[in-house]
Amino acid sequence: MNEEELDQALRGISFRPRSTLGPEVLGRLRRGELSRGAVPPRRRHPILGALAAGLVLAGAVALTLQGTRSVEVDRCCYDLDGGGRADDGVLIHAERDARVHRLRVYEDLDRSGDYSAADLIRLDRRGEPSIQGPPGQDLVTIERCCLDFDGGGPEDDGLLVIGVPPDRVVMAAIYEAPHRTLR
Amino acid sequence: MAVYNYFRFHVPQLDVAEDLTAETFLKVVRAADRFDPVRGSSKAWILTVARNVLADWRRRARLRQYVTLGTMHDLVYEAPSPEERLLREEEVGRLLDAVTTLADADRELIGLRYGSGLDTSEVAQILGISEGSVRTRLWRVLGRLRGALAHE
Repeated sequence: MNEEELDQALRGISFRPRSTLGPEVLGRLRRGELSRGAVPPRRRHPILGALAAGLVLAGAVALTLQGTRSVEVDRCCYDLDGGGRADDGVLIHAERDARVHRLRVYEDLDRSGDYSAADLIRLDRRGEPSIQGPPGQDLVTIERCCLDFDGGGPEDDGLLVIGVPPDRVVMAAIYEAPHRTLR
Repeated sequence: MAVYNYFRFHVPQLDVAEDLTAETFLKVVRAADRFDPVRGSSKAWILTVARNVLADWRRRARLRQYVTLGTMHDLVYEAPSPEERLLREEEVGRLLDAVTTLADADRELIGLRYGSGLDTSEVAQILGISEGSVRTRLWRVLGRLRGALAHE
């Protein structure tokens, strides 16, 4: 990659903060953090006021539209570990249509059709998607789309599982079909 | 977006970038009286505040390497498939990893120009140098970044 290509590559990188950041800043201001500084505010500059208001408003609107209630979604039964039998399920704790708190891929040993204490956990993940254990060779990617995996309502979510057949799962994540962001 | 992106070019953890963005806006509101439109644009002034917030954070924390997988939920990229999204995240992670190996001044230039999306005149205003110097230095920094990527 030469300098011009690097310039283009760097220009193409963009990040978007979560929608709740604006209301969070507003909350901190309301809790009085504004007065913590050495200089008390006598008047706010109109441009800065508009900027802060814009940030807060955008976040508040997105928050209202999205909702953040926690949900538990259990989907069974598919072949998620590459074993050849549709006897695996996925149990997801998430904020509705948003962040995943916990994701478990299980083998439905007791054939109950959903998760139970007798089932075998193939992967248990909290927080961000990550590779668990040595990835090894012969990795297989299994994808299931489209279902409601995050409790958002519409069947617009996909499930991505990476594993080593016949019984290892090293990574699992869900994504919203239009955006393809793993979570 | 400009402030958040500036931090994301410097900070691998998105939750830290969020905290620093919030801190920046709190400071901006607190110090609003100090803004002088004659001395430059509001965007450049806010980015100056962001630079100070980043400098404070650096004094408190050691910079860590990027772990690409799962740390880029906030990357704007409409991928046709999750695999391509993953590849794009790895590509961006590798690039930003290389940026973290540069000297502080070089990283600062990259963050202001590409993270914040400031034009060269605004970067020049913040750094207190001429536009020509910004362009020359930027070109040299890109050369060093190319070297860093080649040595990976």
